[in-house]
Amino acid sequence: MGRGASTNSIPEIENARFLFVIGSNTTEAHPVLALRIKKAVRNGATLVVADPRRIWLTKIAKRHLQLRPGTDVWLLNAMMHTILAEGLQDEDYIRELTEDFDAVREIVVRYSPEDAEKVTGVPADAIRATAREYATERHAAVFYTLGITEHACGVDNIWSLSNLVLMTGHLGYESTGLNALRGQNNVQGLNDSGANPMYFPGYQPIEDLEIRRKFSEAWGGAELPETTGYRLDQMMSGLHDGRIRALYLIGENPAQTEPNAHRVEEGLGKLEMLISQDIFLHDMTRKHADVVFPASSFAEKDGTFTNTERRISRVREAAPLPGEAKGDREIVLLMAKALGASWPEYPDAESVWNELADLAPNWYGVRYDRLEENGIQWPVTEIGGEPTRFLHAPRPARAGGRAKFFPVEYQRPIEEPDSEYPLVLSTGRTLYHYNSATMTMRESGITDKQEDPFFEISAEDASALGLGEGELAQLVSRRGVLEARAHITERVYPGLVWMALHFAEQKVNWLTHDVGDSLIGTPEFKVSAVRVEPVGTGVRPAAR
Amino acid sequence: MSDTEVSGTVTGMVEFTLDGRAVTASEGELLVHAAARHGTFIPTLCHDDKLDPYGGCRMCVVEVEGAPRPLPACATRVTEGMVVSTNGPMTDFRKTLTEMLLSEHLNASPGGRPNELLDLANELGAEAPVVLPDAKRKEYDDRNQLMGYDPDACILCNRCVRYTQEVMQCSALSLEGRGGHARIVPTWELSWLDTECELCGGCLSVCPTGAIYEKFEEGTTRPERSLEQVRTTCTFCGVGCQIDLNLDPQTKHIVKVTSKPEYLPNEGNLCVKGRFAFNFVHHPDRLTQPLVRGEDGDLHPTTWEHALETAATGLQKVIAEHGPQAVGFLSSARLTNEENYLTQKLARAVVGTNSVHSCEST
Repeated sequence: MGRGASTNSIPEIENARFLFVIGSNTTEAHPVLALRIKKAVRNGATLVVADPRRIWLTKIAKRHLQLRPGTDVWLLNAMMHTILAEGLQDEDYIRELTEDFDAVREIVVRYSPEDAEKVTGVPADAIRATAREYATERHAAVFYTLGITEHACGVDNIWSLSNLVLMTGHLGYESTGLNALRGQNNVQGLNDSGANPMYFPGYQPIEDLEIRRKFSEAWGGAELPETTGYRLDQMMSGLHDGRIRALYLIGENPAQTEPNAHRVEEGLGKLEMLISQDIFLHDMTRKHADVVFPASSFAEKDGTFTNTERRISRVREAAPLPGEAKGDREIVLLMAKALGASWPEYPDAESVWNELADLAPNWYGVRYDRLEENGIQWPVTEIGGEPTRFLHAPRPARAGGRAKFFPVEYQRPIEEPDSEYPLVLSTGRTLYHYNSATMTMRESGITDKQEDPFFEISAEDASALGLGEGELAQLVSRRGVLEARAHITERVYPGLVWMALHFAEQKVNWLTHDVGDSLIGTPEFKVSAVRVEPVGTGVRPAAR
Repeated sequence: MSDTEVSGTVTGMVEFTLDGRAVTASEGELLVHAAARHGTFIPTLCHDDKLDPYGGCRMCVVEVEGAPRPLPACATRVTEGMVVSTNGPMTDFRKTLTEMLLSEHLNASPGGRPNELLDLANELGAEAPVVLPDAKRKEYDDRNQLMGYDPDACILCNRCVRYTQEVMQCSALSLEGRGGHARIVPTWELSWLDTECELCGGCLSVCPTGAIYEKFEEGTTRPERSLEQVRTTCTFCGVGCQIDLNLDPQTKHIVKVTSKPEYLPNEGNLCVKGRFAFNFVHHPDRLTQPLVRGEDGDLHPTTWEHALETAATGLQKVIAEHGPQAVGFLSSARLTNEENYLTQKLARAVVGTNSVHSCEST
């Protein structure tokens, strides 16, 4: 479509009439946004949830499409198949505002709902009904998050969703669109700001000579590298083959958050220089960091975060830094100086922002004086210009004003269950913790609710293993072993186990495999093969 | 397409009379809102804009010509030609009602939260005529560490229960008992940790008297109104909720986190992490000194000068021996846009590599 961001705004959600939530456990990962979904349903909207687990939202959904992990392309292609078979596509939109639709038409004709049922486990009638409801409701909105992206076919999944949205013309007005719910506070902003191996700030490609010249000029004539940088997954493999010799980590712990974490840790141990800029020491930095800079938390700094609806909001310094810790801006400036750079002073966050906004056209009109209250949503291309509540109006933002269809064929997950590792392991997050949980595990009021490593397993599988609620078990994959307590629940179906990534002492990423998406490298956290072995050393309550 | 079209109702304007003045309102607008827009403040206690109209506490009653009895402004919609009086005998009624509530209100604010009932009493000059005998309600203790409830501060407006039902749509709290024994309890009198409660604290945020409060502030000597507030953006998920960090003016430590209905995109709502997971900021485990690994293989505290020099020398050595492509940067969603911008500038313009990415690159 031409933009890497949610198309529509959070307040618009409550006026949607049909909501299709796929691969998003919204009430736990985005609890306050989920309140808008709850409100929409309370106002009479129809909610359909597609998720391998019976997540909370299924309670208020009209229908739960409980698909097998990694079969999203089949489900979505079969929905498109139905829409075409019944003539529910928006021909005007397709003709005027898109290109290459025929390629999609040719492919989806082979994806019948009956065949889809065999692959996905979702009844054909449920697929048809969902397709009809989605296609015929004007204010129909799609929401997705890591359940779509964290697959070896993650980009395919997004293209499938994009095809579905485009063929129904559900784009470019209120309470509709394709909405990627960004997981962390400033994921949107870190990509917008250029922490990306392919783009300068504002998604300006590094291989574009004019763009490189513009940045070089703005940065005091610095000579800028022409070659694309390594992505995260390439850096991780580069640890082993010597392509990466030094790593500068800011607030990151890849030995917990990246797949096949034993191997990541082994690689980190080979580095000649590992710099960690963080607010806490953790097991990995304790073992492997060469230099540790004590940094600032969000409460100790000024600046901006950009949320999932592209809203740029102020972050304001409230508390003093502990001890000799420094703000992250100051540390980066000191490093630049130590490496011999002579940069401008950057006396405050605003001076940095202004440099960014001057260089990135879609952010040009976003200035601090407009961020005092509720922030504004990019793009804003002129000083004083209108913020953008929804994208792709009146035409798709892609060059030429036409969105492009990308036909997608199903590909099987990289690692499927077999006789040795008979269960699918999917991973994710819970309401009570945050990623590697260095912050939330330090809140006793919250760990009261959830402290011990646990995994979800169906009653059928638990009973076949002789495993009781709260009992300890080993989860074993080709890459590692961990111990956690069984939580027997209807949230998962027989054949599927699920575990959160939050537990530092039992890292689920010891188990996950590290073959990611071939285009962008996103890991397949949602599908690995494991077996479960009861340990049998007593019972404790597992989780809620 | 406008919002009104979305909801399927086309709104028109109606005229009505407010304390003798001819004014207008949107058709179907709540009287309490229409009056406020015209500068007439009608006090409410059980009303909250997040919740369905309720009309439970009767504090907002007004006289409407032709109505058989006074009507609650928070649950009455304006109609064409309606004649409303807010400042007649109803003013005395409000004072009486306030006095009745005060006579059972034994504890003003157990956790230092603002108390709208006392504000109203102040404004109306109301005082408790007597303290009712046996006014004390049955207390309960709960093993959760985040939220406390004092039945003696509760006016049974039911805002908390309605928040759990209408906004969170969970079964966490209920109103138990009648008359002098009535109080709010977690569902089935379980612990708050064992109900469907997700510890979001929405109940305490809508409580008008501070009867539900941050448990860690129980018996505080620094009420919320004496705290400094700094508005910022929550550091957890990508929703970007707007919050107020409430700081002790002396220590500058965060005491609690609150939000306001006018804040977007969250409209004052928060989750368990946004409201309660702030203690990490002042945690004793925070790194307070730079560390450098010594010859003995351990990390040792050192000066900034030495740490920066060690880092710079290490990077320069790698660049000299293997080229700038051998250096990688993992930046973070923990950082602001400005810090991310400077980090990629450091990678590109100073080290000379485009290898700057993050674990949140999906």
